[in-house]
Amino acid sequence: MRLVPTEEERDLAAMLRQLFADHCPVAVVRGLREPGADRFPKRLWDELTRAGVLELPFAERHDGAGGGLVEVGVLAREAGRALCPSIVLGTLGLGLAVDALGDDALRDRLLPGVGRGETRGVAAVASPWDAGDLAPTLSATTEGAGWRVSGVVRYVVDADLADLVLATALTPEGRTVGVLLRPGDTGRVEQLRTSAGDRYARLHVDATIPAADVLPDLDPEAVRRVALTLRALACVELVGVTEAILDRTVEYVRGREQFGRPIASFQAAQHLVADIHIGLQAARLTALSAAYRLGRGEVATRETAIAVLHTAEAARRASLDAHQLHGGMGYVLETDLHLWSERARELGVLGGGPDQATRWLEREVVDAPA
Amino acid sequence: MEFALDAEQRAWLEEVRAFLAEHVTPELRAELAEHDLELPGGEVAAFRRRIGEKGWFGLSWPVEYGGLGLGPVHQHLLMSEFEYWGVPGPDLTVTSVAPMLMRHGTERNKQEFLPPIARGEMICAVGYSEPGAGTDLASLRTRAVLDGDAETGAWVINGSKIWNSGAQRSTHEWLCVRTDPEAPRHKGISVIIVPIDHPGVTVRPLIAWSGYRTNEVFFDDVRVPATNLVGEANHGWRYITGALDLERGALTNAGDLRRAVDDLLRLARSPREDGVVPADDPQVRRDLARLDADVEAATLMGYEAASMLAEGIIPSVEVSVEKIFTSELRQRIAVAALDVLGPEGLLAHNSAGAPLAGRFERLYRAAPLLRFGAGANEVLRDVIAQRGHAMPSYGR
Ligand SMILES: Cc1cc2nc3c(=O)[nH]c(=O)nc-3n(C[C@H](O)[C@H](O)[C@H](O)COP(=O)(O)OP(=O)(O)OC[C@H]3O[C@@H](n4cnc5c(N)ncnc54)[C@H](O)[C@@H]3O)c2cc1C
Repeated sequence: MRLVPTEEERDLAAMLRQLFADHCPVAVVRGLREPGADRFPKRLWDELTRAGVLELPFAERHDGAGGGLVEVGVLAREAGRALCPSIVLGTLGLGLAVDALGDDALRDRLLPGVGRGETRGVAAVASPWDAGDLAPTLSATTEGAGWRVSGVVRYVVDADLADLVLATALTPEGRTVGVLLRPGDTGRVEQLRTSAGDRYARLHVDATIPAADVLPDLDPEAVRRVALTLRALACVELVGVTEAILDRTVEYVRGREQFGRPIASFQAAQHLVADIHIGLQAARLTALSAAYRLGRGEVATRETAIAVLHTAEAARRASLDAHQLHGGMGYVLETDLHLWSERARELGVLGGGPDQATRWLEREVVDAPA
Repeated sequence: MEFALDAEQRAWLEEVRAFLAEHVTPELRAELAEHDLELPGGEVAAFRRRIGEKGWFGLSWPVEYGGLGLGPVHQHLLMSEFEYWGVPGPDLTVTSVAPMLMRHGTERNKQEFLPPIARGEMICAVGYSEPGAGTDLASLRTRAVLDGDAETGAWVINGSKIWNSGAQRSTHEWLCVRTDPEAPRHKGISVIIVPIDHPGVTVRPLIAWSGYRTNEVFFDDVRVPATNLVGEANHGWRYITGALDLERGALTNAGDLRRAVDDLLRLARSPREDGVVPADDPQVRRDLARLDADVEAATLMGYEAASMLAEGIIPSVEVSVEKIFTSELRQRIAVAALDVLGPEGLLAHNSAGAPLAGRFERLYRAAPLLRFGAGANEVLRDVIAQRGHAMPSYGR
C-alpha cells in the first residue's frame, strides 16, 4: 500500500494536462456541440494519436505502450478535467474490450489500428442502466460462414463517430458471443437528442456478420470484468471532471466580491467548498482503488460499486453547488460551467448510478457474510 | 499508487494480529468492559507492558530515540488493527506528543522524556482546552512566568484546563500556556511538560455522556524546572497545531468504524426479538451498503494520510478531511443501528440482554465527541477551504 502517485504517474499526468491544455481548450469542446458542427475532434485526435495516447494500454506486440489500467486511469482523469470528447476514451474502451475478450488474431487485427487512431469505436457490452447486467439485447444465429445478428443496442455513445461497436449477442443455445458492429452497415442508427447534441444512438441491428467479426463463447467473468472496468474508468474520468469544477469554482469565488469582500471569505461559501473537497477525496480514492484492482485482474464488483457511489455523489454535489456559488455567472452559457455539469451528470448515470451501485453492494456485503 | 498491501506490510499485519490473538484475553475484555481503562495494576496495565516490551510504543520513531524506525504505514496498520479489536494501543503521548518532541524539542527535552515514553512509563494528558478557550484555542489564558533564568530557574504556572482526559492516570501534562501576554495571540504561547504529581495540581473528575471520564485540572503556583519548556518559548502554537494534526491522523483511522459496520451487518442478518431479520428490509439493506462504501472511503483516506507521512509530507488538509468524514460517519453508523435494532438498541451498555453488550447503545452516546473535539468540524471545514484552496480567512 502506497497511496501517493509515483514519479512516472505524476509525469504522465503533467504531460497529458499540458497536451489537453494545448489541444483541448474549452473552445474546442464548445465548438463540437454547435448545431451542424462536425462532432469529430479531428485536430485533437491527431495530436493525441501522435502522443501515443490511444496505444497506452496495449502490449508492445500490438504496437502498444505496455501500460496498465493505472496509466489509463491517469489519462481518464486528465481527460475528465479537460472534458475531452468521449470518442477518445470510448475508443480506448473498445481497445481494452477487444484486448480482454478477443483472441490473438483479433488483437493483431484491431489493436494496432486503434493505437494509431485509424479505428474509432466504443464497447457496449452491458446495460446502459446497469453495468452489472450483461444480458445481451441482440440475438445471433450462425448463417453460412457468418452470423445473422438482430436486435437493438441502446444508448450507444458516439455511434455516429464509430467504425466499430463491440456488443454482445445471445445464441439460440444461450451462449453469449461478441459481435463487432459497423454502425450504418449493420443497421439503422437512430440518433437521440441530448442537451449536448446527438451523442447517443439506438443501434437497430439486422445484418449478417462475417465470422471474423464474432467473438465466440465469451467467458461471463471476463465480460463482467470488462463492463466493470469501463464503469470504473468512467468514475476516474468523473473525478477529473469534479476536480475541474472545484478549481473553477474556487477561482471564481475568490475573485467575485459582494458586501465589500470576496464571496470566498464567507464561512457558508467555504463550507460548500469544503464539502465538495471532502466528497472529492472519497471519490478520488475509491475510483483509483477500483481501477487498480480491476487492473490486477480482480472482478472488483464491490470496489466498483463503491466508486460509483462516491464519484457520482461527489460530482452531483460539486456541480450543483458550483452553480450556487457562481450565481448568474455560472448559469449563462457563455461561462461554460454547464459543460462540466452535463458531463458530471452523464458519467454518474450511464452504466448505473448510485442507486444501481447500491444494489450491487447490497449483494456483495449484506447478503455475503462479512 | 499501490492500493494493496505489499508482502512486508501483510507480514506486519499478521504479526500484529498474532500479538492481539495471544494477548487480548477474556480477562482483558472483561476488565475493559467493567472498568474501561481505569483499573490500576490490572489487565490493561499488563497489556500495556506487553506492547512496551515489543517496542511498539516507539515503533515509528527513529532508532536513535529508542524507536524501531518502522514508519507511519506500520503505525497506521497497527493502530487500525487495535481499533478493530477495540483494545487500547499506543496513545497520544506516543503518536502526537513524542513526534513533536523529536521535531521541536531541545536536546535535553529529548534525552529526558523520549526514553520513558518509549518504555510506556511516561504518559501525558494533553492540556489544551480551557473553560474560555475551546474551538478558539489561541485564546487560552493559563499563565506561566519564568522565575530565574532559562537554565536553572522555574516556570510558575497558574490557571486551569478543562476536558483534560486521562489526567487521573497520566504522569505528566503536555501543557499549553501563555508566556507572553503582550504578544499577538498566536505568538505568546508555549508548551511545558508538567509532572502531574507536583504540588499545586488538582484534578477534578468530569463524566461525559458516553461514560468516559475526563477532568478539570487546576494549577496554583505550580513550579516546574525551566528546562521542562518544550523547544523555544512563545513558539508553542506551531507545536500544538503540529501535534493536533498528528492527533487527528491517529484518532481517525477507520478500524473502529470497520468493526462497527461488520458488527452491525452481523446483527442485521439475524432475527431480532420480534422475529424480524433487519437485513431483509430494502431500506436497511441500502443503509448498510452505503455505510460499507463510506467505511471503505475512510479506510483509504487513512492509508493515504499514512502514505503521505511516509513520504515526509504532513497531510494537514487530508487529515482534516479524514477527521470530518470519520466523525460524521460514526454518527451515521450509530443512527443506522437505532433503526436496525429498535428498542433492543436502547438497552444499556453492559446490561443483560443488550445486543453485543450494548455496543451500539454506547456508540450513539460516544459518537458526538469526535465531531466537535480535536478541532470542531466547522473549523476544520474552514481549514480545508483556507489551507486547501487559499480562500481568505474571515477573521477567525
Ligand atoms: C470527553 C471529552 C474529552 C476531551 N479531551 C480533551 C483533552 O484531552 N485535551 C483537551 O485539550 N481537550 C479535550 N477535549 C476538548 C475538546 O477538544 C473541545 O470540546 C473542543 O475543542 C470544542 O471546544 P468547546 O467544547 O469549548 O466548544 P466551543 O468552542 O464552545 O464550540 C461549540 C460549537 O460551536 C461551533 N463553533 C465554534 N467555533 C466556530 C466557528 N469558528 N465556526 C462555526 N462554528 C463554530 C461548533 O459547532 C462547536 O462544536 C475533550 C472534550 C470532551 C467532551
